Amino acid sequence: MTSSSERPYPPLRKRLFSVWYRHVRVYTKNGFSNALPPFLEPLLFLAGVGLGLGRYITESMEGLAYLEFLGTGLLVTTSMFTAAFECTFGTFIRLEFEKVYDGMLAAPITVNNLIVGEIIWAGSKGLFFSFAVLCILSVFGVISFADGLMAPLVGFLTGLMFGALSLLVTSFVKTINHFNFYFTGFISPMFFFSGVVFPVSNLPKFVRPFAEIVPLTHSVRLARSMCTGRYQISLLLDLLYVAFFILVVGLLAIRRLRRRLVS
Amino acid sequence: MDSTTPWLVNMAKNVITVRNVSKSFGKVQAVRNLSFQVESGTCFGLLGPNGAGKTTMMKMIYAKCTREKDSDDTLEIFGYDPIHEELAIKYLSGVVPQENNLDEELNVVQNLMIYSKFYSLSAKVARERIDNLLGFLELSEKRRSKIKELSGGMKRRLVVARALLNEPKLLILDEPTTGLDPQVRHLIWDKLRQLRSQGTTILLTTHYMEEAFQLCDTVLIMHKGEKVMQDTPQNLLKENIETFVLELPAGDLARTIRGEGLPSQIRVERFEGTTRLYCDSFDELKAVTTRIEGSQYYLRQSNLEDVFLKATGRALNDKQ
Repeated sequence: MTSSSERPYPPLRKRLFSVWYRHVRVYTKNGFSNALPPFLEPLLFLAGVGLGLGRYITESMEGLAYLEFLGTGLLVTTSMFTAAFECTFGTFIRLEFEKVYDGMLAAPITVNNLIVGEIIWAGSKGLFFSFAVLCILSVFGVISFADGLMAPLVGFLTGLMFGALSLLVTSFVKTINHFNFYFTGFISPMFFFSGVVFPVSNLPKFVRPFAEIVPLTHSVRLARSMCTGRYQISLLLDLLYVAFFILVVGLLAIRRLRRRLVS
Repeated sequence: MDSTTPWLVNMAKNVITVRNVSKSFGKVQAVRNLSFQVESGTCFGLLGPNGAGKTTMMKMIYAKCTREKDSDDTLEIFGYDPIHEELAIKYLSGVVPQENNLDEELNVVQNLMIYSKFYSLSAKVARERIDNLLGFLELSEKRRSKIKELSGGMKRRLVVARALLNEPKLLILDEPTTGLDPQVRHLIWDKLRQLRSQGTTILLTTHYMEEAFQLCDTVLIMHKGEKVMQDTPQNLLKENIETFVLELPAGDLARTIRGEGLPSQIRVERFEGTTRLYCDSFDELKAVTTRIEGSQYYLRQSNLEDVFLKATGRALNDKQ
């Protein structure tokens, strides 16, 4: 119980925790089928693209062997995908089909608590997925486990960014099929043009500014330097971008989604 | 909980105070200048046809819906205004929404465990309460069942159990028994009566007249967002409708009866082919039925449904 007699309800951190806990319990309920894909996917990717295609790529990219270059990018793309799916399809189903939020909002949490909890959950999934990629990369000796240990933190931040962004997108969506535009038009292009599969510097000059505007580019840069230990002062700008993005997009998402949750 | 918490001080008499509260959705005015009070430890029923504004009124109480702010309106629950103190209200209240929104992925106990976190109950307290609540709502045998395996009545009881997790002082139920079979309905009524006798204040919406009659100390009939009448179920009956009704399903019977003229204390109402004759005297109506000996008719005591139909203006009054 809180010390203040004015507040006979749980404090903020417990309220956020309860939202997060709900998602963890539902997610871990199907532990095996939910925990396996994050490990399998990078495995397939490394095998197919890295070993298959990578054999033809002898040139180093930003001073890294191709597998290392690609692998360090996958550490955060996986966070992007999981957070984007969670906060589009997942959120929409909870909102419109299962009406889960209607029940939760009858408990002592506010709409803001609910949405922030949702974003933190997306971050946690980003962390876990990023960690799974790290495990696979270190098992195959692409990077050492110790070197990459900071990367899941970037995965967490990436999850927060794409969680917030996807919630903002969800706030506009009326039917679940509309998410296809978001994935085909935004998420997939980002995978290819944010310095994951090839360096941003190889993009045509007029496209490069776009790569700097989208969030994934900054995540990739952060993750890659964490794994390789090559830190530059410009990374602070990337970090600043990430923090700013989470804050601004998060606030917008709260403002917009609020209208769908409270009438 | 210690005795200095404000709700105890504020609770004195009225748990809910609603004064001049309105709410519109676009051009539709869902609730219009509604006022009522719910006394502590009583059961209050909002009654009305679909679209009357019952659910909207309820949602305003637990902040799922925001009322139109007006300078002279008041909405207080335990002395708290939902616009400013929604958390305190939700902490002291349990809500059973119209739709069951259980987590299909989880089993019965897990569904309740998740909600125990929202109230910050320790695992030990949560387990104890869950055991008690499952016993109370006769769900103990289903504790490990998946939600999909539960019948509609079991799901509803589980949602009620969920609403009771934090031992609420106020229980809010939106159509608690709609679509349930008579056994489950009576079981839920029974449990609600027990809760009320233990001091829980209950606010419910329903369009089952019998439910309102069985449970409510006070009934408020709503129509198109407005209060039509409010009283105890007994007074609503006594003051708004004659004691007995004679229902004639066929039009020609009505003509036969009325052809010979009717005593002045009998009131006639016709709606979509059915004619109803109302009178405080059973004998008068019985005497009338001799004119249609052998035909189908239904002579019964009037009920809250008759009041309701009269209040919400579904029937055309023949005397108008």
